[in-house]
Amino acid sequence: MTAAGNGSGDGGGRSDDLLIEQVAGAYRPPSRTELRYHPAWHDLDPAGRERAFARARALRALEAALDPDGLSTTAHAVLARITGRR
Amino acid sequence: MVAGALSMDLDVHVAAIVGGDPRAFGAWLAGAEPRVRDSLRSFAQVVDVEAVLQETLLRVWQVAPRFVADGRDNGLLRLAIRIGRNLAISEVRRTRATPTDGGDLETVLAAAAAPRPAPDPMLRRAIGECRDQLPPRPRQALDARLAGAGGQADDELAAGLGMRLNTFLQNFTRARQLLADCLSRRGVAITLEIGE
Repeated sequence: MTAAGNGSGDGGGRSDDLLIEQVAGAYRPPSRTELRYHPAWHDLDPAGRERAFARARALRALEAALDPDGLSTTAHAVLARITGRR
Repeated sequence: MVAGALSMDLDVHVAAIVGGDPRAFGAWLAGAEPRVRDSLRSFAQVVDVEAVLQETLLRVWQVAPRFVADGRDNGLLRLAIRIGRNLAISEVRRTRATPTDGGDLETVLAAAAAPRPAPDPMLRRAIGECRDQLPPRPRQALDARLAGAGGQADDELAAGLGMRLNTFLQNFTRARQLLADCLSRRGVAITLEIGE
């Protein structure tokens, strides 16, 4: 499920902010294809995707700072796949 | 972020990684992930960089047993950047997205291999203390994201807290903004995207 959006990443819509918030997270759904896109990514325009990238970059630094091993949620997600936990 | 000591050669972890040690790979990830992510910045409009990044890091683990050092620092990191770039280009072609420049590979590799500030213990403490000051609902949303560790969708996390998805996301946004405000009051420069 994704939050409702209007496809404009220009900051004009609160709903787009929520889409960006989702895309900036590390969760990516299981997929039969190799890459696991977040469904909400497709609902963002190029400006929204840029903002999601920037927000993810900043969030990962915060996450790593709050983690005892210095790992972001991206790193934890990858390690979970490696060790078969996901 | 606040500058600390210069970063080390991440290849110190390679021997243990080749031996199949996930903890060593985690230690490598802590330093490599931000650099690989930054190397994919030019693709942000046309591919889901988070998806490409996670697949790239997974492939690095898979090919690591065959990795041969070239005598220069951060060899595995440079390999990861090449894998990520090739994966992003393949994805652009597959989806027929408008190609992006992507930047010159050598320039991207040089930027990624340049020394970076290591995490500052004072900054880590400040972030932790600011988190402790968050109101309950934003704190719950932030903690759920951290505990979910990228393995649970936001609607699952929301349900676990008895929130609607949009309410959960609004609380997470609030937590992010409050953290930025708190850090700013402590004189910590924080990127606009966090405090937006």
